[in-house]
Amino acid sequence: MTVEPLRLTVNGRPALVPDVPGNERLLDTLRWRLGMKGTKEGCRTGDCGACTVLVDGESTLSCLTLAREVEGSSVTTVEVGDEDEVVARVRAAFSAAGALQCGYCTPGFVMAVAGLLRERGTSARREEILEALGGNLCRCTGYVAIVRAVDALRAEPK
Amino acid sequence: MALLRTAGPSEAAVIAGGTDLLLDVADGRLAPSRVISLRRLPWRTLDWNGTQLTVGSTLPLRALEQDPELPRRLPGLYQAVRAVGGVALRHRATLGGNLVRSAPASDLVPVLLSLDAEVDLIGPGGVRRLPVDRFVRASRKVDLAPGELVRSVRFPEARPSAYLWQRVRPANDISQVAVALAFSPAEHAWRVAVGGVSPRPALLPEAAHALGSGSPSAESVARAARRAGEQAGFVTDRRASVEYRRHLVGTLLTRAVAGILSQGELPP
Repeated sequence: MTVEPLRLTVNGRPALVPDVPGNERLLDTLRWRLGMKGTKEGCRTGDCGACTVLVDGESTLSCLTLAREVEGSSVTTVEVGDEDEVVARVRAAFSAAGALQCGYCTPGFVMAVAGLLRERGTSARREEILEALGGNLCRCTGYVAIVRAVDALRAEPK
Repeated sequence: MALLRTAGPSEAAVIAGGTDLLLDVADGRLAPSRVISLRRLPWRTLDWNGTQLTVGSTLPLRALEQDPELPRRLPGLYQAVRAVGGVALRHRATLGGNLVRSAPASDLVPVLLSLDAEVDLIGPGGVRRLPVDRFVRASRKVDLAPGELVRSVRFPEARPSAYLWQRVRPANDISQVAVALAFSPAEHAWRVAVGGVSPRPALLPEAAHALGSGSPSAESVARAARRAGEQAGFVTDRRASVEYRRHLVGTLLTRAVAGILSQGELPP
């Protein structure tokens, strides 16, 4: 049986991906078919958040999402250029705060924060942000600097 | 639809959000040759009819928790939805998927029981409506005929309610014990449901009865807490011991009553 190529927009560019079977995870399509290794595989069970990307602007676990389920959607990964102003700001804030240790969880954190900023804007309360990051684990336990980076992105008094 | 009706689980898997199904696929417990997606069905809906709520089965949980009326009208449901995974997971996970997959530690089944929720099913044999208490049979077992799908979940009335849980980690973890408590203004009666029990979340009618028909006394709360510890079908598993669970359920129930009383006046 021949299958239609998978049609996506990835980081603002249209992509037609051939031969994507129905049971392939979005994470594998990104990493192995499109060669975009910025998105990480951690637990592969939805516990760690390392694979978080944005699908039509919403944070999404790419390890628990079938690629075919997001056919026609716009997928944003940590590799997106600075024309994505929200992601660019989050990356800059993480960089300025030194919010990484080994760096493996960082793409997931960056995309989770970017998703929340898109959804709630810079007026999001600190508790909301901490709650929204509850799905992301840093096994180096470098959370203090991550929270500092997030605080720097908020419009309210810190 | 023909495939849905005739295919076994190894041939075709129905996927809503997929956040639980894909765990089985990733581990090789399930290797369906076909995946049937529900994403194009027009079931991502949320409708209030007065204080009665109908939630389409494929509405992402994140959209449900963001409904502006939910925290006030069904606070227990609001709290339980927010107890599921993290935000990114809830962008895809659905109420229908959680029910059909019926994980023994589901955070949603207890609260659906406490709110007397009903499921609307549609299939080759037509439509039918079942209380959640009859739909969920056991761990991972529901009353769904071949080719049948959950179309929506219906909540009959707004209820003062609460959902409290205990976990090793507060965020993105599985509850060891959970208590869903609700007061029905129509029936002047309490509902107590618990999670972390075997073989599936369950109502505890004796504990609910002990709370009386309105605002309970401290003695009634203590009696209900004791009953819940005695009555609930707790077991020891890798998440917690039966003794710990029996102790904890009373504590959570007592806190849940206090939470509900802080939401507003109940009849005496």
